[in-house]
Amino acid sequence: MMYDHFDNAVKGITDKLNQDPEGINARKKYVLELSKLGKKLYSKDENIAWCGVTAPFDLLGSMDVTSCFVEFVGALLSSTQTAGYFFEEAEDSGFATDSCAYHRAVMGAVLKNAMPEPDFIIGTSSPCTAGLAILENFAHQYKKDFFLLNVPQNYTQDAIKYLSSQLEEMVRFVSDHTKRPLSKQKLGIALENFNTSSTLLKEIYDLTKTKPSPVDNNILKDFGTVITLLMGSQEGIDICQAFKDELNHRIKTRRHHDSKEKIRLMWIQNRIQYPFPINEMLEDLGAVIVVDELNDVTWEPMDPDNPFESIAKRMISIPFSMNASERIKHLQDLACAYRIDGAINPCH
Amino acid sequence: MNKKIGFTCAYTPVPLIEAAGFSPFRIFPESKAPDQAGHLLHDNLCPHVKKVLDRALADDLPELEGMVFINSCDSMRRLADAWHEAKPDDPIILLDLPSGINSLSLDFLSKEYERLAKTLFKWNNEPFSTEKIKDEIAKWNLLAASVKKIEGIMSRNYFPGIASGLQEIINTAATDSTDKALVMAQNKIEPEKPAKGGQSPVFVFGNLLFDPKVYDLFEEWNMHVTASDFCTTSRFVTQVDTKADDNIFRSMAISYMEQTPCARTMDTTKPGNIAQKIVQRAKESNAKGVIVFTLKFCDPYLARIPMIRQALQKESIPFLMLEGDCTMGSMGQQQTRIEAFTEMLGV
Repeated sequence: MMYDHFDNAVKGITDKLNQDPEGINARKKYVLELSKLGKKLYSKDENIAWCGVTAPFDLLGSMDVTSCFVEFVGALLSSTQTAGYFFEEAEDSGFATDSCAYHRAVMGAVLKNAMPEPDFIIGTSSPCTAGLAILENFAHQYKKDFFLLNVPQNYTQDAIKYLSSQLEEMVRFVSDHTKRPLSKQKLGIALENFNTSSTLLKEIYDLTKTKPSPVDNNILKDFGTVITLLMGSQEGIDICQAFKDELNHRIKTRRHHDSKEKIRLMWIQNRIQYPFPINEMLEDLGAVIVVDELNDVTWEPMDPDNPFESIAKRMISIPFSMNASERIKHLQDLACAYRIDGAINPCH
Repeated sequence: MNKKIGFTCAYTPVPLIEAAGFSPFRIFPESKAPDQAGHLLHDNLCPHVKKVLDRALADDLPELEGMVFINSCDSMRRLADAWHEAKPDDPIILLDLPSGINSLSLDFLSKEYERLAKTLFKWNNEPFSTEKIKDEIAKWNLLAASVKKIEGIMSRNYFPGIASGLQEIINTAATDSTDKALVMAQNKIEPEKPAKGGQSPVFVFGNLLFDPKVYDLFEEWNMHVTASDFCTTSRFVTQVDTKADDNIFRSMAISYMEQTPCARTMDTTKPGNIAQKIVQRAKESNAKGVIVFTLKFCDPYLARIPMIRQALQKESIPFLMLEGDCTMGSMGQQQTRIEAFTEMLGV
């Protein structure tokens, strides 16, 4: 079912893009790449790892592992309105009805054999203990080996050293499973790609700060969270470039002035995944979501000569990993930089 | 009387608090303080954490010289943040607690425990002393050994009042001093009342169940608690294996991480191992059934319940799950279910 979903999406979007090869359609290209990732996850001929949200996807990609955080599938099930079916399965098996909907949906999918069986699992203690608990359930259910990355919340030398040592251990764990050692050359390329994407991301976010903003309520929805799945690859660079080009085009053609932006909003944490016309409702009110909390570059460039420490610093720097005052400070900085009028904080 | 240090999590080593010259004060989520935590924390959050914050907001606490928080789960981590907001002048230390048990995590936790020890000595203007820490650990270990002995007696026979008596000892260690708890424990090793029959042997586990009166109610409801696994019972009184490592903090890290863990701590080499441990504890304590008391919205426990249920089913051990706030207040609502469960188990 899921393979067909992604396969159809790849075919459909490719056809549309081919019909208009010169078109400005970054979001379509982005969804195409994510659909290709989904197709690979379900293709059965890849090394698959189900992961926590803050896992180092660039490092895993450089080791030829197709990896993804499980909440990605939870969001997909929700947006395609199939989550209800999987909730039932999870709840019948004893998963609490008031637990996280992302995790209940994917756990139901595991129990219904609707998730691809991974080769191994990489859990992360950030952003939440619930996510880690679900990944332990995955490992238990699939009887697969489980590696856990503890992401400390204090940005100290000890914490960075602890996490970078864990990343080295993770590389050994992955190599043991794939029977392939880490290629320093491939990792170097992945980190260079990551840095190029990060530079483009900064440029994209700077463009969105323009008043009125060139974004609409959909174009950069959950972008910062999900683009991490592609960063480290050439595809990630191409996607970031496409978004930058589209925003520049909007500014150049003054299309963004058409949005009649009256109110500038920030969206805290991630967006609503199930079909719900909030974007349109806000649009009717002249409200534009100009920034999502995680649409930001909070890390320094990766150092290919010191890859594990670089990645560790990046993982700790993500606002969800830190204490509340750091996260609030980050939100305040965004609020000032984007000159917002208000913020929306959903609870899923 | 010694100045007090507040704490909330069983991974807080009491010997470090006492070695620095403080008395421990574990803040139990028991209070008539009004519900105010919702101003700072979401309503759908662990009731334990919210009630502890209610106590802070209502000044329903003794004078505390500082607070020790452990990043054991999202809720505890947010409690530290909310506490800082509610009482910005309180000295606070937040320790990072790894979720997995391996050499790297033990090294990291040992450094965190050392940081805690140094902070506590500093808060009390005391010179740092490893000897004092070792002395306190020795006393703590005597207490842990006594607790274990009492638990052994509990699992073999039903002695009315022994479970609540044990809870009083543990609560004394958590909120007063190891010395006093040790004296109480040594007096309790011989049961006060003779063994009786006619109760259903049950192993109870979950987040926390700290009120001694709860255990008396269980007896009224025909239950013989053969053993328990809560962060307010034996899991709190962790025997520190001082021979585990030359470094005392690493010994502590090993002991605290490798004890029967809270659901949030996992052995990644055996995913879901908590289920096997529960089965093993139930069998070792000669229980005929198992009851879990979980806090509402506790993701670490709630996500593991299906695995535990499955493992117990495989062993044909009846299982009852009760969700609430783990206080006496919610216990009355559970009476009928508990009585029906013990009746089904028989004697």
